[in-house]
Formats: sequence, C-alpha cells, structure tokens
Amino acid sequence: MAIEIGFGTDKYHPPRSGIYLLFGLTSFLFVLFVLRFWYLQILHGEEYAQKAHANRTRLERIYATRGIILDAKGRLLAENRPAYILALIREDCPDIPATLAQVSSWTGISLPALQAKFRQDAARVKSFQPQIVATDIPFEKVSEIEQQIFMWPGLIVETRQRRFYPHGELFAHIIGYVADASEKELRADEKLALGDIIGKQGLELVLEDRLRGTKGLNSVDVDVLGRQLNKRQVDPPLAGENIILSLDIDLQKAASEALGEEAGAVVVMEPDSGKLRALVTHPSYDNNIFTTTLSREDWTNLAQDPRHPLQNRAIQSVYPPGSVWKLIMAGLFLEQKIDPRAGVTCHGEVHLGSHTFRCWNRGGHGFMNMQQSIINSCDVYYYEMAQRVGIDNIERFATACGFGSVTGIDLPHERAGLVPGREWKKKRFRESWQGGETLNVSIGQGYTSVTPLQMAVFISALLNDGKILKPGLVENEDPVVRGMLPMPLPHRSFIVEAMRATASVGTARRISRPDAVMGGKTGTAQVVRMGERRVKSSELSYKHRDHAWMTAWGMKDGKTYTVVVMVEHGGGGSSTAGPVVARVYDALFGPAPGQPRPARGSAPQGGANAVGPAQELND
Amino acid sequence: MLAIDRRLFTHANWTLVGFTAALFFIGVANLYSASGVRYEDGISIAPFYQKQLVWGATGLGCMVASTFFDYRHLRTMSFPFFLLAVFLLLLVPAIGKTVYGAKRWLDIGFFSLQPSEVAKVATILLGANLLSRHKEPLRWRELFFILGIAAIPCGLIFIQPDLGTTLLLIFLLGGMILFHGIKKYVFRTCCIAMPLLLPLGWFALKDYQKERILTFLDPSRDLQGAGYHITQSQIAIGSGELWGKGFQEGTQSLLRFLPEKHTDFAVAVFSEEWGFLGCIILLALFCFFLLCIVDTARSAKDQFGSILCAGVFFYFFWQILINIGMVVGLMPVVGVPLPFLSYGGTSTIVNFIMLGLVVNISMRRFMFKMN
Repeated sequence: MAIEIGFGTDKYHPPRSGIYLLFGLTSFLFVLFVLRFWYLQILHGEEYAQKAHANRTRLERIYATRGIILDAKGRLLAENRPAYILALIREDCPDIPATLAQVSSWTGISLPALQAKFRQDAARVKSFQPQIVATDIPFEKVSEIEQQIFMWPGLIVETRQRRFYPHGELFAHIIGYVADASEKELRADEKLALGDIIGKQGLELVLEDRLRGTKGLNSVDVDVLGRQLNKRQVDPPLAGENIILSLDIDLQKAASEALGEEAGAVVVMEPDSGKLRALVTHPSYDNNIFTTTLSREDWTNLAQDPRHPLQNRAIQSVYPPGSVWKLIMAGLFLEQKIDPRAGVTCHGEVHLGSHTFRCWNRGGHGFMNMQQSIINSCDVYYYEMAQRVGIDNIERFATACGFGSVTGIDLPHERAGLVPGREWKKKRFRESWQGGETLNVSIGQGYTSVTPLQMAVFISALLNDGKILKPGLVENEDPVVRGMLPMPLPHRSFIVEAMRATASVGTARRISRPDAVMGGKTGTAQVVRMGERRVKSSELSYKHRDHAWMTAWGMKDGKTYTVVVMVEHGGGGSSTAGPVVARVYDALFGPAPGQPRPARGSAPQGGANAVGPAQELND
Repeated sequence: MLAIDRRLFTHANWTLVGFTAALFFIGVANLYSASGVRYEDGISIAPFYQKQLVWGATGLGCMVASTFFDYRHLRTMSFPFFLLAVFLLLLVPAIGKTVYGAKRWLDIGFFSLQPSEVAKVATILLGANLLSRHKEPLRWRELFFILGIAAIPCGLIFIQPDLGTTLLLIFLLGGMILFHGIKKYVFRTCCIAMPLLLPLGWFALKDYQKERILTFLDPSRDLQGAGYHITQSQIAIGSGELWGKGFQEGTQSLLRFLPEKHTDFAVAVFSEEWGFLGCIILLALFCFFLLCIVDTARSAKDQFGSILCAGVFFYFFWQILINIGMVVGLMPVVGVPLPFLSYGGTSTIVNFIMLGLVVNISMRRFMFKMN
C-alpha cells in the first residue's frame, strides 16, 4: 500500500495504489465473466442447447386425496369423485385466443367470461404449468374433446377430485363445504396453489389441516412439442386423514323428518361421552352446489332467503329459553338454601310496583312447592323466589352452568348467547337494572338468550356427574371436560327427578313411554312482549309466534340420550316441540309400545298422551 | 461560477456519457425483447421498455441537473444529507410499507421512496468527505471512526431486512477506504481478522437468508424457487452458444423466469439471444464504462472529487459483479439489479445521478487554474 501524495504541484494526484486497485478490479470483472460465459456457452453450450430444446424439465404437482368423512357406522358423508377439467399450458400453445374460443364452444362457457378468467389467472400460474380453463366437464363431453384435442397443442384434459356430499341437505351445516381457495387464502398459505380447493365452512373448514393432506411433486421431462418423455416422482403425495363422526345418518334423518317443515333445531347428545348423535337444523341447503359451480344467483337466493337456510340454528341462533330456564333457577334456589318444600301460592299474577307479572295459567296454580313449580311450570313461584336471590346470583350461577359462553363445538361461528346482569346493562343501555327485569329473567325471558346446543350440554351435564363436556362431533376423540355445574349431587338429583315427574304427569307428558325412563321440561319463549295478556299462539302471525322448546332425557337398556328440540315460532313447547322429541326417542329406542304416535299437526288423541285444553297453551 | 461555461462543456467526460447511452439502449432493446415475444392479445404484460425509456429520460434530466453546481458544495452538504438519510431509515420501521415481509419503502404520496437508495448516495458523499480530510493512509483510529459512522445506516438496513443492500453498502465503503489507502499494519491485521469474523456473521442472518446461501451451494435444495432459477438461468445462457439465438428469438429465458426476467435476470435474456460474442461486447462496454470513471478519479482536481469518483466506481462495480455473478451461478441469489439493463425506476434515476456527479467532477478538473 504505497501511497504517493502530489506535493509540490498544484494538481492533486490520487494514490497510485488506489488507481491500480480500480484497474485491477475492472480487469478481474472482465476476465472472470468472460471465462464463465465461455464455460457456459462454448464449453458446455451444446449440452445446454440440447437441454433447452429437447429436454425441458417441468415440475408437476400431484394432488393429495382429501380425507373422506364418515358417519358413526362408517357410511359416507363426504367423498371424492373424479371430475374432468381442461387446462392450458401457455408455453406450448401457439394460438391462445383460438384455443379459448374452441374451449368456449366445447363447454358452453361464454368467451368473454373465459377470457376474463384466463387473464386474471395468467398472472398467478407460470407459463409452463397447466392453467385451469374449465372445470366439471361431463363425461360425454370429455370423450368428444379427447378425439379433437390433438389439434390443440397445450390443451390437456386432467382428472381432479371433486368433493361430493351424498346426503347434501341433511348434513350441510355440519360438514360445510369446500371451494376454490380465494386470492386472500392463497396469499396467507404458501402451500396452496391456484385451483386448490379448501374447506370454507363447517367441519371442512375446522378440520382443514387434517383433511387436506400434502401434495406430491413429479419431475417431468418434456420435448419441444410438449410430449412427456419421462416422469419421476420427486415427492410422493400424502393423503388427508379420513374422519369418522359421532353422528348417525339414520338418527339424523329421523330427527329431520320429526321436525318436518318447521324452522328449528334438534340436538341429540350422549351425556356420558359428550358425543352428538344428531344435530339437525331447518331449513337447510344443498352444500353440493358450492363444490360445483355456484352462480351468483344461487348465492343471492341462499343469502337472502327470508328463512335463512345458511344459519345453523343449533349453534348460530340464540333464543330466549322460556320455561326451560326454570331448571337452572331451581338449581340456584337450592344453592341459596331455599327449602324445596316451602311453597308459594299462585293466583295467576304478581304485582311489582305498577307492573303486573302474569303466570301462563291465568287462573293460578294454587299452592306450589319447588317440584310442583317445575312440573306445572308455574311462573309465579319463580317471580317470588327470584326476588329473594337477586339478579347477581342468577347471573353468576347461569354463567357457571355454561350459559353466555360457547360450548366449544368443532364448528365455526358459534354464538355465546347472553346472561344479562347489571354490568352488561350499564354497558349496553347506560341504564341501571330494574327489579322487574329480574322477574323476566327468572322465567327465561327478557334479555336471556341461549342456543339449543347450550341447553343440550346443560341437560347432559346434569346426568353426567355435573361435568360440562365439549359436544363432540368426531367419534374417536376423548371427552373434553370444560367445567363443572355448580350443583352438588342432591341438587342435580332433585332436578332430574323433577324432570322425570314433569314427563310423567306434568307439561312434558307427551314424551312419556312405558318402556323407558323419561324426563323433560317444556318451554314457550315469547318473541315479543304481549302486554297485559298472553295470547294464544295460533292467534298470532308467524313472525310473532312463540318459540317452542323441549329438553328431555331418556334411559333405556343402560343407554341415555339427551334430546333438545327448538321450533322457531312453533308456538307451545308441549304441543309443538313435544311430538318432535317423542319421535326422536322412537328412532333411538324403537317405536313406543302401545298406541301409535299421532301424525304431526293432527289433534291429540285420548289416553296417556292426551293434553287438556289448559295445557294447550302451556309452557 | 454557476453559469455554464463553454470550457466546462468541452471538459466533460463525453466518453463516459457515450458508453452509458450505449448500455442504456441495449437495456431498453433487451426489455423490448423480453416483454414483446409470444404474448398474445389480452395477456401481454405491461410494456416495460416504454416505461424504462421514461425513467431514462427522467434520469437524464437529473444527471444534467447534477452537473450544474460545483461538486465541492457537496462536501459541506454531505453531513446534513447523511443525517437526512438516517432519519428516513428510522422512519421505515414506524411508517414503512411491508412488501414481501420486509419493510423497505416509504410511501410519500405520488411515489414510493426506498430510503436505502438515499443511504447509498449519502454514504458515498460522507465517505468521500471524511476520507479526503486525511492526506496519509488511515490508522486504526481513523478507520474505526469512519466504520463506526457507516455502521448506523448499515445496521438500520440490515434489520429491514435487506441483506443485499447492507453488503453493498459495506463493500462500497470498503472499496473507497482501500482506494484511499490504509496503513500497512492495519491492512495486514484486517487480512487475518476478516476470515475469522465471517462465520460470526452467519448467526446474524435470518433463516431465509441462510437458505438462499445453502441453495446457491446446492441448487437441488429448492427446486421450485431459487434453485430452479439458477438451473434454468444457466440453461438459458448456455443454450445461447457462440452466436446466440438472435434478437427476440430466445425461448428459455423468456418463458421460464416470468417474474424476474426483466429485472434481476435481464442479462440471461441477453446472453441467450446474443451468445458468447454479445456477452463479450456487453462486458467490454461495462468495463470501458468503469474505466471512464477511473479516468475521472485520476484526473480530478482535488482529493474529495477523486474519492467521490471512486465511490461511484464501486457503486457500479459491485452491482455488476453481484448481479452477473448471480445470473451465471457464481453467487447466491440476492436481489441486486444490473445497472441500465434491469428494469427499475428508482435505480435508473440514482444511476444517472451518480454519473452526473462524475461528469460534474470531470468538467471542473481544471477549474482552479482558470479561476
């Protein structure tokens, strides 16, 4: 590093070593790259030219089979069927506009639509990879296309797997559906490629990671004309996991038929395992339309249908629980050391300030103790007792029972419902809690809202040592305990026994059967405040009609099942939800010995199932 | 002094301007070829060559503008300019735009500014200023002072993260320091210490950066990504052979590197179409271009101008070395563009500004005699 500095002259001279350094580096650059280009282009040029012209290597994805979904007895709920698609390799296609026009005439898809999609996708698919131009081509068309395809270089027919749901509507809300991954999903997950299908709803979405599998990779050598010369598997594909559900197709079908045309939900749960055996919501939709070609029109029809078929009413809709709530209240009264033998005399109404709170039985029930209040669903008993325990206790106790929070079922968009309280009301309305509201809450009205599934989980917990289980949809999963009911054994036994009595002599009589031990509780939830008088449901328009509830358990031959039925705007709990529950138990335990069930909607027959006129408007 | 003197005009380094023009138009033609072929109606990608012409015209304006003033003013401005660059770099983590997982851009209304580009110019200016204060080769103390100051922008760019620009900045300043000279004992110690420090740098790298280096060493590690590019780039270049396939006749490079063929892999397109002979001519043009800058560095009238020229030299030298090195498979894949051949707005304009500085220095090399 000899440095020379230009002393003595007025012109500056940079250090000679520095100038040499720059010269040296420039020469190095030249020599290095000339040698490298010589190595690549002259020494190995022919080799590379051959590689370029004759053997062009392409990487092809091998699609992994998506896991299938089965019911508890191994019958298919979601399967894969082959579907034919047309794909275009741009690099091999000499005349793309003409090819697209031909595809349009084969498939009947309009040319502008085809061009628009092609242009949009072209940016995302490399020119040497197949770009999908048409999907779901019927088999007859495929054979016609195959005869002419040699005239259209670059165009290939491929088979892909398409998702098919054999039971469509029956399981649509549980299975959900798959569809092409969206722009956003492609960006979020680098393992996805354009045209991949992924779960969008239901179990297909929640279990996506288990169902999807891992794609494999083929290395394909292709000649100038795009003919495949040689194919090697670089990575084998890994199929997705097959999943067995706890649901039973037969039972699901029976429950769905029992519900008939009504909007509502049926939940069948096994208390000791937490497994769901049926989960029905009405009305439903055919999830197969999402996997084929869902048109904008189809979607608008579904989304704007006034009956909201996309809504899973078992978990995504919340309703006031009505008198079913009295079971929870009874648990609280016992906890607060209220003597179950102590009673209230029901005169059909209670006055609080200037308001009058009425019992559903306007004539009054007379003397009611706690068990009788459940059997006859006496509102006045709860009005009285609720004033003693107060809203804070109700809020704490109901929350501990699992209300106001999700059950944790493996389905998306579950709602939590609401247990109202002082704080909530302050936040929501900036108003303080009124005493009368406590009375409304005590009979499951007012702001209280629950999902049918929450109810089923609560009833199951009563029968399963107080364990609040996560409702299970997948068969081979161990039960997950999410909490404990705040009720010791004597309290739970009291409520279970009261339900048994209700099903034998009370408002839930309709579900009784001689061959099984049954318990139940009805509920009729008001949709709108009716003012001074409670009106018979049949006098009201559909939208203003009450929601009908029935929660039940049944034991036969050592098997126990919880059934919860909620009929939206169904009217009376006993008259509308009761027969549905009875039918579900017919499917579970076999037809009840003795008299056949009355057909839906017909007048009640005489005998054990007969319900007097007073009960017709019951709770 | 600010008025344009006829003598200033004649003293300008016209050879450099000539080589630049040649390289720029080769670049535009190459872009035309890269974007024009086999793209049917409706799916042709944006005509990059047209936009590049616009950038070139803008760059030319900036180049002319950067010859109007006496470059010696830059000496006093270099420190505030450096502070501005550091300030912009500090803004990036706060309000920067995230692109491909890295925060490198500032959105200022009508266009996006890359503060690391500003930092390159600032480092060259400040480096020239600091180095020109010493007549003798650097001692330890002086060396560490300069490196310490440069560590600020380097660190800020490294955490963006942008490894390519960080290394470019280090190499740039290193080149300028070597050009100025360091004491023999300093040089010797550095020669021994460097290889020992390199492995430590490995641990500062992010996983994807390590992956790139490993992929360079073994392209089969990542067949679909960088490894695929390296393999296909070599096939494209190699298949050009001696004469090349001719303008717009390339098949490999055009179809394979759709995402990068107009930016980082532009020279692969050129090599395939123009062959070995074309490559020699292109390399010769680049080398003459560099030598023109060396010429101005040698004839500059003061030390500041001379070192500034050396800075510009290294600015271009490293980009050419790293980019072509990457495309021919001699270096890992890092996103460094090739001056004048790669498409890009900011880089084209900065390139022309850098040249403007050299032309500025060449114009005023006899100034002190005249005034």
